[in-house]
Amino acid sequence: MTTTIERMRNIGISAHIDSGKTTLTERILFYCKKIHKIHEVKGKDGVGATMDHMDLERERGITITSAATHVEWAGHAINIIDTPGHVDFTIEVERSLRVLDGAVLVLCSVGGVQSQTITVDRQLRRYNVPRIAFINKCDRVGANPFKVRDQLEEKLKHNAVLMQIPIGLEDRHRGIVDLVEMKAVYFDGRDGEVVRTEEIPAELRDESRRRRDELLDAASMFSDALTEAILEDRVAADLIHEAVRRGTIARKLTPVFLGSAYKNKGVQALLDGVVRYLPHPADVDNTAIEIDRDGRPFKLVSDPEAPAVLLAFKLEDGPYGQLTYIRVYQGHIGKGDEIVNTRSRQKIKVGRLIRMHADHMEDVAGAGAGDIAALFGIDCASGDTFAAPGLNLAMTSIYVPDPVISLAIKPADKNALDRMAKALNRFTKEDPTFRTHVDPESHETIIQGMGELHLDVYVERMKREYNAEVETGRPQVAYRESITSRVEFDYLHKKQTGGAGQFGRVIGYLEPLAEGTYEFVNEVKGGRIPREFILSCDKGFQSSLKKGELIGFPVIGVRVVLTDGAYHDVDSSDHAFQAAAVGAFRQVYRKAKPQILEPIMKVSVEGPSEFAGNIFASINQRRGIIVSSVEDGAFSRVDAEVPLSEMFGYSMQIRSLTQGKAEFTMEFLKYGRVPAPVAEELMARHADRKAQGAK
Amino acid sequence: MVKSLLSKRSPLRILEDSTHGGPGRGAIAVLASPKGVGKTACLVHIATEKLFQGKPVIHVSYASRVDYIITWYEDIFKEIAKIRRLRKAVDVHDEIIKKRVIMNFKQEGMKTDQVLRSVEAMITFGKFSAETIIVDGYDFVLAGSADLRKFKEFARRMNIEIWFSASLRDPDGPLYDADGMPCVLIPHRSELDIVITLHAKGDFVELRVIKDHDHPAAGILPLKLDPKTLLIAQER
Repeated sequence: MTTTIERMRNIGISAHIDSGKTTLTERILFYCKKIHKIHEVKGKDGVGATMDHMDLERERGITITSAATHVEWAGHAINIIDTPGHVDFTIEVERSLRVLDGAVLVLCSVGGVQSQTITVDRQLRRYNVPRIAFINKCDRVGANPFKVRDQLEEKLKHNAVLMQIPIGLEDRHRGIVDLVEMKAVYFDGRDGEVVRTEEIPAELRDESRRRRDELLDAASMFSDALTEAILEDRVAADLIHEAVRRGTIARKLTPVFLGSAYKNKGVQALLDGVVRYLPHPADVDNTAIEIDRDGRPFKLVSDPEAPAVLLAFKLEDGPYGQLTYIRVYQGHIGKGDEIVNTRSRQKIKVGRLIRMHADHMEDVAGAGAGDIAALFGIDCASGDTFAAPGLNLAMTSIYVPDPVISLAIKPADKNALDRMAKALNRFTKEDPTFRTHVDPESHETIIQGMGELHLDVYVERMKREYNAEVETGRPQVAYRESITSRVEFDYLHKKQTGGAGQFGRVIGYLEPLAEGTYEFVNEVKGGRIPREFILSCDKGFQSSLKKGELIGFPVIGVRVVLTDGAYHDVDSSDHAFQAAAVGAFRQVYRKAKPQILEPIMKVSVEGPSEFAGNIFASINQRRGIIVSSVEDGAFSRVDAEVPLSEMFGYSMQIRSLTQGKAEFTMEFLKYGRVPAPVAEELMARHADRKAQGAK
Repeated sequence: MVKSLLSKRSPLRILEDSTHGGPGRGAIAVLASPKGVGKTACLVHIATEKLFQGKPVIHVSYASRVDYIITWYEDIFKEIAKIRRLRKAVDVHDEIIKKRVIMNFKQEGMKTDQVLRSVEAMITFGKFSAETIIVDGYDFVLAGSADLRKFKEFARRMNIEIWFSASLRDPDGPLYDADGMPCVLIPHRSELDIVITLHAKGDFVELRVIKDHDHPAAGILPLKLDPKTLLIAQER
């Protein structure tokens, strides 16, 4: 099917883990006639929902990687970008958000807005993604979609407006009342595939009228025509749709749908909502940055005739080789076209181009502005931009945080070694927050990431997807060292024993740098150090920062100011000045009162208020600082700052302390000073390791 | 150390000197005024001075969002740091915020018992040994006399002092009685140890001590609120 851009939707389904996102996605695929049998998440048939194509995800019932799936509904092409729900995988979430034009925010009608919902919503907000809400699980005991709508307003500050009301809740949930058409809608047939429209049941008529008035009130803010129509009492459905669509795209209105994906209720109406209210690609402004012009913004046009610009947002190793998911932002690409990777400057020819369905792939001839497709056999990293030759653009770079935790891994046997290497190579390309290197001293392979769970998942994936069994060491926190006071240095590096001599003298000072890692300032006047050797000094200092003396972790927050020095016509060299810088740093580092810094996480724990005391205690035990606690009726949220090194095993503890009723999210906040007793222990351990290494 | 030197010069000290040492442990103080005069700023200033003295503070809020309250503290801290030319302000700041917890109770009509239970959990389970509790946004009009008694009993049992703000509403009748006591506080008079009212006087805000334990009240204090920074300042 060739689709005009107005009939395209690129959407994400964003949710808190247990709100039923996978089941909903599954149902959407089913009703769009793309799959023929419904599988439950962790269902008896062991097949698992279709979107969850990784074993691990099946087992855990969560979706970790994002893949794009193409479906068609009511003459529209919808690409569903499956966004991961866990905060540990933020980079993946954010990368998928970059390519969305709109999102369905799924909420549980019992649990409502929870801390992860807040995180996910904040991310959507950051990328200006318009959203509609779906309140799922209306069949569950305790379901109360009205309360959830209120929470959308209070907790997430959405201007949320019900498009429907439920016909019955909990086990009596039978269907919905469509407040635009003012009809009752039921979902019949074995899988709810037959949509039946009836008159609104008598007992719901008053409520329906009242809620419709609220809807009209909210929608009329976005349309004068609708306001007039209301006054003249001739409101047509199209007018409402148009007004709600405007409000939604402006991100000033959130239409709320409801139902139960599991019980096959309300999904088709939600799909109608997606095509009616969420924007098409041309509704959304997209900008790239001009690499040659200091990152000046460049407005992209969704014109298929313009030169092509596309973003590789996801790599996937499939059974048929590497797949690169791309979104076309401008222009059109077809087989045989030449495009350039603007990062590596590599030219490539577009080969096989495909569209992914939930269970099969389809070859397509080309992809135009707004479209999402996948390319075969291209070597690139996630986040790379491709453009037509002559256009040197990058899609706005996505902020990549530094990893905060590392883990030593060792292949269990010789055979696993190759497979492990292959897996690591793949993972680092897929996920920029996952890194790996070999420690030069211990010769161990180290993997680094954003949290315990993040690394766990990759270790599991190595086992399952690559059959590479690995043994893991203790997780290690990414400490840093930094200096706290200004010190002056004056260091002469001089060697004249045989062969060419070495001579270099550096004078200046080190001082703490409030923000950033390192800054080098050259204040040497009158050629006391020749220009070519200034760079050598800079290099020398930088190499000193890689390993601090206290515990061997990188040193950050240092400004080096070079004020003077001396050289020798014959004996001075790049090497001599680098050595002088290293020597100077070593000479004064201890005098600069170095300290150890550790990653501090922003931790948010949410659970029933009765457990607030347990939550306070758990944070206190872990050297945490409670910043605030918010009690909202029976629910409490505690925000705290806790050192990452103290967070190991917290998910287990919090579950057992609260009978599994509390949950937490955590993300990197800042580096903070390690308290003296901990610092001493770390230094003692470092000294031990060094002594052992020396043996 | 620097921090304690700082506190000696603080307006809070004058306030305490004028009220026989401030509320003291086990006692309740109230700052009262109509909306917008500067109660919250004043409370945050008092809390910040306590923090400077190294004394932990729990800030209980019934109304504002946590981020608004944090912003109040940040602003007041910045002003103080500027006025006193604080060196290493960032370090001091990092040090003192560790001694502050904000507890926000959102639901209208949240039961006093539940609030006090949570505050107690913070002190005992959270091992947060607060000496001062700030209570902002508490509605004295809706409060029954039993509620204030519960606060008073809590202050005694936990050996802490509690500072309230009381918002005086648009009057159907007078805001104050003949002695200057806010009318909404009259039913709770016996539970309150200190009552201070704030009065907007054109370009400054005047502080008046209406009740001072069982002593005769000091009346107008040599303190005023600077309208720009809303800090309590000593009258020159």
